[in-house]
Amino acid sequence: MQSRISTNLERLRASRLWNSIFRSGSGTSTLHRSMAIQQNVFLHILPTKVRRRMLNFDATWYLGTLTLGTFLVLVITGILLMFYYHPSVPQAYFDMKDLRYVVSSGLFLRNLHRWSAHAMVLLAFAHLFRVFYRGAYRPPREFNWVVGIILLLVTLLLSYTGYLLPWDQLAFWAITVGSNISSAVPFVGQKIHFLLLGGNLVNANALLRFYVLHCVILPLAAVMLIAVHFWRIRKDGGLYVQQSEPVAQCAEETAGPATTEETAEEVMAKP
Amino acid sequence: MRTLKNCWNSWRRLFGDPIRAFGITSVLLLIALAIAPAKDHFSEWRHYQHGYLKLIQSRRDAPVLERHFQAGIHQIWLPKLGVVDRCETCHVGLTETSLGDVRMEPYSRHPAIPHSMQQFGCVVCHRGQGAATTVAAAHDSTLAPNEPILPARYDEAACGQCHHADLEGTPTLNQGRELLARYGCVRCHTIKLPDGSAMQPTDAPPPLTHIADKTTREWIYAWLKDPASYAASATMPNFLLSDQEARDISAFLMANSVPKPGDTASLKATSATNADPAAGASLYGESFCASCHAMQNAAGNLVGGDLGPELTAVGTKVKPEWLTAWLRDPRNYDAGTAMPHYRFTDAQLGLLSGFLESKTNSDLLANVHLDPATPEQIAHGKQLVEVYGCAACHAIRGVPKPDNYGPDLSRVGSKPLAQLVFTAGMPRTLPTYLSNKIEHPRIFGPGLHMPQFTFTPAQVDALTTALLSLTDRSYTLPAKMQIAAVGQSSYTPAGKAGELMTDLNCMACHRINGHGGDMAPDLSWEGSAVQRQWLDAFLKNPNTLRPALIRRMPRFNLTDQERTELTNYIMTVYQNPKIDRDAMPQSGYSAEMVEHGRQLFYGKYACQSCHIVDPVQDRGYIGPTLTDVGSRLNAEWIYLWLKNPQQLRPGTIEPNRGMSDDDARALTAFLTMQKGAGSRKSGAGVASLRTSGTKGVGQ
Repeated sequence: MQSRISTNLERLRASRLWNSIFRSGSGTSTLHRSMAIQQNVFLHILPTKVRRRMLNFDATWYLGTLTLGTFLVLVITGILLMFYYHPSVPQAYFDMKDLRYVVSSGLFLRNLHRWSAHAMVLLAFAHLFRVFYRGAYRPPREFNWVVGIILLLVTLLLSYTGYLLPWDQLAFWAITVGSNISSAVPFVGQKIHFLLLGGNLVNANALLRFYVLHCVILPLAAVMLIAVHFWRIRKDGGLYVQQSEPVAQCAEETAGPATTEETAEEVMAKP
Repeated sequence: MRTLKNCWNSWRRLFGDPIRAFGITSVLLLIALAIAPAKDHFSEWRHYQHGYLKLIQSRRDAPVLERHFQAGIHQIWLPKLGVVDRCETCHVGLTETSLGDVRMEPYSRHPAIPHSMQQFGCVVCHRGQGAATTVAAAHDSTLAPNEPILPARYDEAACGQCHHADLEGTPTLNQGRELLARYGCVRCHTIKLPDGSAMQPTDAPPPLTHIADKTTREWIYAWLKDPASYAASATMPNFLLSDQEARDISAFLMANSVPKPGDTASLKATSATNADPAAGASLYGESFCASCHAMQNAAGNLVGGDLGPELTAVGTKVKPEWLTAWLRDPRNYDAGTAMPHYRFTDAQLGLLSGFLESKTNSDLLANVHLDPATPEQIAHGKQLVEVYGCAACHAIRGVPKPDNYGPDLSRVGSKPLAQLVFTAGMPRTLPTYLSNKIEHPRIFGPGLHMPQFTFTPAQVDALTTALLSLTDRSYTLPAKMQIAAVGQSSYTPAGKAGELMTDLNCMACHRINGHGGDMAPDLSWEGSAVQRQWLDAFLKNPNTLRPALIRRMPRFNLTDQERTELTNYIMTVYQNPKIDRDAMPQSGYSAEMVEHGRQLFYGKYACQSCHIVDPVQDRGYIGPTLTDVGSRLNAEWIYLWLKNPQQLRPGTIEPNRGMSDDDARALTAFLTMQKGAGSRKSGAGVASLRTSGTKGVGQ
């Protein structure tokens, strides 16, 4: 049974169609496997090879991956919500009501989006603390730390801009207070405030601006930065696992020598 | 500690291995995703729709009802009104006429109303959250906090959002609006209507500029302490003043009053002292004072009209000299009074004032003993008059009328709850707040000045209904949906006759060209309707046209010259331009035609159900007596009236019978022959024929 499936799979992988899509060809050699990663636009930002230990829960608590997961949930539910939402003053609030009362599973969609947003902020912070306390921000990963901080800011801005969209009293006053904080900046505070809201008050222009920021500009920025963030993990030597770091960098933390598990093969596979 | 360890172990078992962790997480996600459609499937509205299907299953009309029924969410969407109402999702049978016997909610049928539900939706009238599809979110004050469902007894408030004029079907709302105007609510609180006009008061608080001419400080004190102790029907509310406050205000009002020449008059002592109480009472009756003024009778019931103040204990209130001067010419004391200027002789003045002076209440002032006022008391009194806003109603020398003394109530029906104060245990809804505020204005905290009225529960509900009709929505509705109140025009009769009519205050009872009261007939087209001789005789000695009415037109003792002036003016000016008085002859109809008219009167149209032509037989007391209508009304007017009464007098209860021209003409011929007892005796051939004929029918 199993052999028949693998035979069929092998036949498929040898076919012309398969080869026109996946150039790495068939085979289980290290080269083939690393080619499979490198030559795929989606996978090539990931390391071609990781240590098993890196994938352990203890190593990272999966915080970065979970943050990515919530982000994906947010993108999917967000796109579905956009089908029902008009960023206009007379409509916005009643679109919320429609989602709540008549759209099939609309309430579930909204709740999923909202709770995922809260979870994403929480996880991003947890990720930050984990990285910080494990010392994973140190060279050669200092640039990725900076990218991560910017991503945290983008996350918070996404959360903030999304807050206005329900257009209820809570949203209105939260954004009123929040945007007033920006006007406290010396000299240009009022200008920033005006730029942010497209006016002096939270009104139709502010709603539209926040909508565009929330649904287009900030998600695009997040996707780009996430790509860079992942790419840099690969470039900076893979996920940080304390024991696998060079002696010089983890000398203060562990008395023991660098691990000897690293084989020549693995070093070769390192980009 | 051990449980913690157990937890840790099971955690390792579930998530220790990455692949197993992935699998378990996926299963959890699948379960979560399955909950959403399940919740959707077991939603409240589906439950109610199932219930409806079960209900109609066993009915005889089930096939029809089932054909009408469509599963799913239903809504009425009216973008112009801002309405998305999904009430019909659960209230499935609202428009099913055959469900009249179903009392179980939410399946009962909506009562018949003049509007289509598809045109107005539900929340425009009933409030509530139309977009919601759950019971609590649609109705309750906790989940629909701005617009919870309106309790049914205030339903008429909904009508008042568009209909600013009184409607036949909204007695509560009409009463509430009348109370707002009559109890002077709108003197302190501004109530603007969407068309920009403001609600006008209909009460007449007297000016206090010359109050010392009229009454004593003791009476003012007793009145301020409790107006109802003097007159049960007083419209003045109780300001719950302390003894000291009442003392100081009365001191200020007396000190602030300036005497006016002509406000007091002394009669020859004999006329007052020799007055026969029975003669005074009968003059009071003959002058129809009771049309406007009420008095308590021996049984303790108020008898009389409410246009003027109650006179049960007037002798305790007013000074005799003032009363005489007032009865002689009320406009000297108060130029704006509704009291007509009777032309009483000195003897009559003596009788009437003597009668009124005898109406006393000895208990009222028995315990009032006031020391002479000090300047400090007077100054404090003035302060209090300003604090309590007395000048919002009364003209008081030296105290300007305060603008917007109370809060503006133009949109009080949509007031956010966040702006209201509730006492402990009071349900947090707008109707409860309003009715409590009207009933006990001062319970909401210290420092409130709104006085205590004595309203019955029905009146409180009426006032609450009227206030609840003043919503934001009535401002945002399309203009063409607004039905404006019929306001008073500024018409005043001109010339010398006009002066006379102002002096007699005809417009207090009669309406002319959209101005005036509604107690007596509209006179705008009186000149087209009546005959000159009749009008002249009527003004000389007004008799009643309607046997069932208590209110009558008083006799004003007009001079011949005044009467001629008035008659000429009315006959010339108050003409309907579309009526040709001479289009129908006043007499000379053939006997057959008259007889035909008589048969129509008693047979086809059965006019005798409401009118009297033959005082011996007919028993109709609803409409005016027609025994002498032939000498009262113009023939053409009778004819046009029979054809379409509402066109001549909108709102009259006389039905439009859709008469043919021939029928109307025959009836006119019959009616013009009714010239009263005198003409019948004179023995005109037609009249005797009619009389004998009537008897024949009767026997």
